[in-house]
Amino acid sequence: MPVVEVDPDELRELTGRRVDDDDLLADLFGLGIEFEGETDDGEFKLEFEPDRLDWLSVEGLARALQYHYGEARGIHVPSTNDPEWTIEVQNTPPERPYVTGAVVRGLDLDAGTLDSLIQLQEKLHATMGRSRSKGAIGVHDLTMLKGAPAPAAGTGDSDTPGRGDGTARGGRGKSVTYTSMDPDDERFVPLEGNEEMSPREVTERHHIGREYADLVAEMERYPAIYDDIGLFSFPPVVNGRRTEVSESSRDLLVEMTGTDQWTVDRMLNIVCYALSARGGRVERVTVQYTDDAPGEHAGRRFDRPDLETKGKRITHDRIESVLGREFDRETVLDCLERSGLEGTHETGDDGTDSYEVEVPPYRVDVLHPIDVVDDIGRAYGFNDLQPRYPDVSTVGGRHERSRLEDAVRETLVGLGFEDLLNFYMTSNREVFERMNLDPTDDAVGAGRPVRIKEPFSAEYTILRPWALPSVLQVLENNTHRSYPQHLSEVGLVAVCDESENTGVAEYRTVTGALAEPGVSYEDARARLQALVRAFDSTLETPPTDHPSFIDGRTASVVVDGESVGVVGELHPAVLVGHDLELPVVAFELRLDALQ
Amino acid sequence: MQLPEAQVAVLRAADAQENRPITDIAGETAFKPETMTGAAFALEEEGLVTVTEAVTETLEQTDEGRAYIENGLPEVRLYEAARAVGAETGGDGAAMGAVIDAAGLDGEAVDIALANFARKGYGEIDSGEVHPDPDADPEDDPEAAALAALAAGEEPAESPVERLVDRGLVTRHEGTRRLVGLTQAGVTELMAGVEATEQVDRLTPELLTSGEWRDVEFAEYNVAAEADDVQAGRKHPLRRMADRVKNVFVGMGFEEMQGPTADADFWIHDCLFMPQDHPARTHWDRFALEQPEAIDDIPPALVERVRTAHREGVGPDGEGYRSPWDEGFARKLALRGHTTSLTARHLAGEALGDLEPPQRWFSVEKAYRNDELDATHLLEFYQIEGWVMAEELSVRDLMGTFTEFYRQFGITDLEFKPTYNPYTEPSFELFGRHPETDELIEIGNSGLFRPEMLEPLGVDCDVMAWGLALERLHMLATGAEDIRDVHGTLVDLEYLRTEEVTY
Repeated sequence: MPVVEVDPDELRELTGRRVDDDDLLADLFGLGIEFEGETDDGEFKLEFEPDRLDWLSVEGLARALQYHYGEARGIHVPSTNDPEWTIEVQNTPPERPYVTGAVVRGLDLDAGTLDSLIQLQEKLHATMGRSRSKGAIGVHDLTMLKGAPAPAAGTGDSDTPGRGDGTARGGRGKSVTYTSMDPDDERFVPLEGNEEMSPREVTERHHIGREYADLVAEMERYPAIYDDIGLFSFPPVVNGRRTEVSESSRDLLVEMTGTDQWTVDRMLNIVCYALSARGGRVERVTVQYTDDAPGEHAGRRFDRPDLETKGKRITHDRIESVLGREFDRETVLDCLERSGLEGTHETGDDGTDSYEVEVPPYRVDVLHPIDVVDDIGRAYGFNDLQPRYPDVSTVGGRHERSRLEDAVRETLVGLGFEDLLNFYMTSNREVFERMNLDPTDDAVGAGRPVRIKEPFSAEYTILRPWALPSVLQVLENNTHRSYPQHLSEVGLVAVCDESENTGVAEYRTVTGALAEPGVSYEDARARLQALVRAFDSTLETPPTDHPSFIDGRTASVVVDGESVGVVGELHPAVLVGHDLELPVVAFELRLDALQ
Repeated sequence: MQLPEAQVAVLRAADAQENRPITDIAGETAFKPETMTGAAFALEEEGLVTVTEAVTETLEQTDEGRAYIENGLPEVRLYEAARAVGAETGGDGAAMGAVIDAAGLDGEAVDIALANFARKGYGEIDSGEVHPDPDADPEDDPEAAALAALAAGEEPAESPVERLVDRGLVTRHEGTRRLVGLTQAGVTELMAGVEATEQVDRLTPELLTSGEWRDVEFAEYNVAAEADDVQAGRKHPLRRMADRVKNVFVGMGFEEMQGPTADADFWIHDCLFMPQDHPARTHWDRFALEQPEAIDDIPPALVERVRTAHREGVGPDGEGYRSPWDEGFARKLALRGHTTSLTARHLAGEALGDLEPPQRWFSVEKAYRNDELDATHLLEFYQIEGWVMAEELSVRDLMGTFTEFYRQFGITDLEFKPTYNPYTEPSFELFGRHPETDELIEIGNSGLFRPEMLEPLGVDCDVMAWGLALERLHMLATGAEDIRDVHGTLVDLEYLRTEEVTY
């Protein structure tokens, strides 16, 4: 979950309400935001849910609080001015074909606003942007850009979005180009750099470049944005120093590149709302894809940001059904307004009450009308709803294997065993090498274990194919505890099995081990016997060989005629390898043998 | 007259003329003083002896005291060293450093020596020089004499003893001494003849069958003493908690689910409407499998419906994710990161066929997360999962169900914090009061399953679910602090053996 640092004073100022720290945190908690402590500078560290990305900035939070306090109501969409700039899209890397952008003018950027903008960028990158791979933001000082003459209107579709009357103009204005560049042929001075470098050098030697080098490593040509002067942005890696934004910047170009148009458009919306809240005037930008541009939008031309609202229809009945109480129309409409939405009540031809709800463009989380119901519930206050026990009757029960496990465990405890609950993940070393066993041996415990891909720890790389090694590990870790140690486990083992749909055969085994001076095979056999007979089954123990056990003191466990396990005295080599200085006898058999 | 052996011994050893300490009497017999005391009291009840009590005081040297007996009191050593050094250098004063060295004193002993040196008038200390008084005689030191007397087992003089106690060289113990004396009745009985009844240790089958049990006396045992620990079988505390949870669920009408540990990402994530590029589906959070790598069969119609839900959403106003959906990726196997994969299999009809409402199902099974092993995280943990299906369910039903569930564990006053899960809407984090610290703590996650999840699975009524980690519930209920004590192969048997049995 992203953690954002917020200056409480700035939050109060933007919200326009005097409220003390404790109340502020309580209000934020009510919105679903948890307080994680303070930074050294006295800023709040707040943990967010990943659905309200519009709250990732102090501006977004302030807006949320304004709605919460009832000072803001209904939908708010900032107006946008007609576009002057165009982003021409041609010959982009096919891996990253999409771009969007906006111009924001008249900003008064102080250190706090700039920090907030940078943090918002970072958090959007980390969440929606999937660590910049899906979408990455670049912010530039517009005055440092020299626009090339804009191209003529394209032959493809023309989208004209926005609440205002915005017609995309072509033929005049300024343009920048989103395209690709040879990693070695271009040179520019990157942000926080002093010398001109080629893009490849940036990924190899520049501190920011190295961090994001992976994102472009596989590309033949790197993403690049040019103006009339030259290269100014190397998305998603780093901007050029030329267009660096500082506190004296007043007009900005915000651009976003990525692998999905919708994603970068939504990220742009969130940034535009934040800048608008700071007094910036949003000016649309025309995005023009050439006819042969990679991706789905070749030949298309549209204005951005797309601040169009969307509509979701929800019935009154559904609202009442989900929230579990009756609501009157006014309450529903009021809750919608207090959530930053706007509802219009409609009665259908069949008499159904429903609402057409308008959703603002920064709500990337509203996918289905149910999301609107959640908003209503939050505005109403979920903790104000009375819990009730559902009036449906069902009969409970445990499944057979669960009951069998219980009965076996009870029997083992009755025989004096201390029940264990071990890890199911382990290593080849534990289940094979330290047990003197080879995975290809014809013996209990051998087999192809289920293997994890690229494990982080050498100790947890497979699922155990048998449980006795886990029990021995517990004995090994407890040589300082008093003896006798009679340990048992009823637990999962797994092996690869092509006849299973998942390719894995999973079953439970029953393991018992007795570690005690003077203990011998008979002691294990006696308890195994008692266990098997308790479940009304017959036990035979014909001799067998097993490398983990002493020759001549090992037997197969045959229950009702089927070979299901092994019993014997553990081999001294295995004991010494586990730092054990006393004899151990043990058995392991399949749980289902006792069914 | 016949009496138990111990009482006979006391009678015979007691004296009509003089009260004798019971400890003395015990010393003359093979009996322990406690046994003799008990016997004496029993005889007193019969009027055969008198028992009087006196408070005694014993003095014992401490280790420090013993050391001084051997090596001499520090101030005496200082005096003698001062005399010696003074004699060598001529004049009656000697440098302190030299004297201390000669006396073989260091550390605390130096301060002790100096303090007592002056107090006892062994001389003066002035400007770093020790001036021993030639007329002082350490042989006369009453404290040394008292210490020596104690060491020799003799009675020391009164007044120096106080000093010795203050100096921590002697400790005083108070005790009760009991004295026994024969009464006239006791004398009479003795003269008439007193015999010890036969004492037995073990009651044997022979004693019972022969009837001899009537004629024998059973030796008294020290019944109050602790016995040796006995090795016992025991259920694992976490397992006990899991079984408790299962019983609560069954009591609330829930049936138990089961299903695979190694499962396709389709069942673990895709059926739950989690986008394929969700961070939880990256390598970092989950255990993808190398062997085997992918599942064999998934019902193709279901795959299509899930794919469509991901791309386009469900319903006339639905929207999907802007993420690619790849069947190959969905087929890849992993160790399930949550047991909601079992829920998905049951809802889809894959586990037990189509389920009609009402339904209540639960499981308490392991889930696997690629966390770092530390005091609050394991790689594998037990997830408690419960869900309810009915024609119509509201968030109030959700709240009511788990309010009841947690009440069974003593957790009340729940608060619900709206939260976000990709597969539920609305969703709530549950907070409850810690049964002991009264702190507000997170105790679970819950929600109503989204239509994008339910529709592709063929469910057209409401389903609600909640869950939490078993270890969390257990640690809250028992106060355990390190999860590695509670689950896994790293346990300390001592913990398992001594943890309180909960019910």
